[in-house]
Amino acid sequence: MTGERPFALVLLEMSFLMLLGPLVTGIIQKIKARLQLRQGAGVLQPYRDLAKLFRKGTVQADTTSGLFRSIPVFVLAATVAAGALVPVFRGGPPAVPLGDALLLLGLLALARFLTAVGALDAGGAFGGMGASREMTVAPLVEPVLMMVVFSTAVAAGTTELGALAAHRSASWLLAWRAADFLGFAAMLVLLPAETGRIPVDNPDTHLELTMLHEGMLLEHSGPGLGCMLLASHTRQVVTLGFVAALFLPASPMAAGSALGFLIGAAAFIAKILVLALYLALVESSYAKLRFFRIPQYLAVGFVCALSALALRIL
Amino acid sequence: MNEATVHALIDDIGALLLFSMILILAADQVYRAIYAVAAQSLLIAVAAGVLAMATGNPDLWVIAGITLVVKAMVLPWVLHRVVQRMNVRREVEPVIPVITTLAVAVGIVVMSFHLSASLGAVRQAITGNALPVGISLILLGVLVMASRKKALTQMVGLFASENGIFFTAMAVSKGMPLIIEIGVILDVILAALVMAILVLRVRSTVDADIADLDRLRG
Repeated sequence: MTGERPFALVLLEMSFLMLLGPLVTGIIQKIKARLQLRQGAGVLQPYRDLAKLFRKGTVQADTTSGLFRSIPVFVLAATVAAGALVPVFRGGPPAVPLGDALLLLGLLALARFLTAVGALDAGGAFGGMGASREMTVAPLVEPVLMMVVFSTAVAAGTTELGALAAHRSASWLLAWRAADFLGFAAMLVLLPAETGRIPVDNPDTHLELTMLHEGMLLEHSGPGLGCMLLASHTRQVVTLGFVAALFLPASPMAAGSALGFLIGAAAFIAKILVLALYLALVESSYAKLRFFRIPQYLAVGFVCALSALALRIL
Repeated sequence: MNEATVHALIDDIGALLLFSMILILAADQVYRAIYAVAAQSLLIAVAAGVLAMATGNPDLWVIAGITLVVKAMVLPWVLHRVVQRMNVRREVEPVIPVITTLAVAVGIVVMSFHLSASLGAVRQAITGNALPVGISLILLGVLVMASRKKALTQMVGLFASENGIFFTAMAVSKGMPLIIEIGVILDVILAALVMAILVLRVRSTVDADIADLDRLRG
């Protein structure tokens, strides 16, 4: 298979995403703080948190099985592997067949499943509740994400994310078809759910009955917690990169040149920043939904995605 | 503008219209439904402007202007005022749960696409997806009217339905005769005013809700 992105570039992109993840979280938190007229912590705070956690020891509940210790590593591995499928510096399929958008969603779902299993394994009440809630929301989000992928994949004739991004680079907003608008609308509705943010989840609270993701992390500590946090930072940037690849233009760069490489990186960061700004604005302007209202919120995304498919196929 | 650009633009506007309709259906507060229907009317005005530029038909400019002023500004303002004056709970009170309404909406959207796909050659002659989008807007507007308890939200449904009729008429026949369009708009204004007055009067004199009128059946 001859692709446009050599394997070394894919590896570079993967590590770039992992390093960028905490920064994106930091930027979102900073924007939120400024919107609340607070000074806020620096954008590098998530890195400091991670560094601190990795230096700490681990405390573990007596009830946990042997699996519990390895859960954070698996979760991080699945998330980072999903990052390998996101085109960062340029569009086009990778030189080695790695997988497509469906595998990316599958890996994210695997990470989510493992997180829930870890939470249930520890036997804590909060963990079990967080896991049960997460597992209630996940089946509402993931099929709709698949439908959004399909609605763009039908037009491009492939589900390979790099190829989809390359297809988009030829045709940007002016060439957006009707289905793209609806698909993007569905994506904007789903984005807070997939990144675990208000109005679906609240990333800032611990020990609250409203939380989903944070509840599952309670039993982890030290380096394990660090891995879980790094995984959720990475998951966020992977999801944003996924949306950018599907709907925003890829950088039109000549292969291999250093300048094109830099332009590609700058374009990617700009796209991620736009989406991060959107997340911060949504988080600042909406309240967390009551849990039983979440299906209604996500149904908006579902109807949008289905209409996008209908527009594309019928 | 050439034909293909116009088709693409009308298609895009159709998608946005569908999105605003979904927002109306999913709105759980009366204000949000009103804002969504105002945005929808704005999109209809834009669509009329696009078609006016494409066909050079001056009637369509008039339609665009009237839609913009009356349906995107005045009527939402009237509704807004009524909500303020009524001083009632601002949540939408659905007869069937909103999530069920959305499920029904999915069926309606898919059915209207399916039905107009079966038109085949006829549909090709009509601007892109305008026909199925128009049909689903009309039916979804009726759905809103049927599935909400408050008269206000039913009015929002009426406007949405009316927007659908406008969109279909404009896109399919490149504009109806001006007199008909103005007649339709006047009808809607009158209906809105009568309903607004009725809602206010009914509330202030007998303090009843639309749902209470059920018991008046003979």
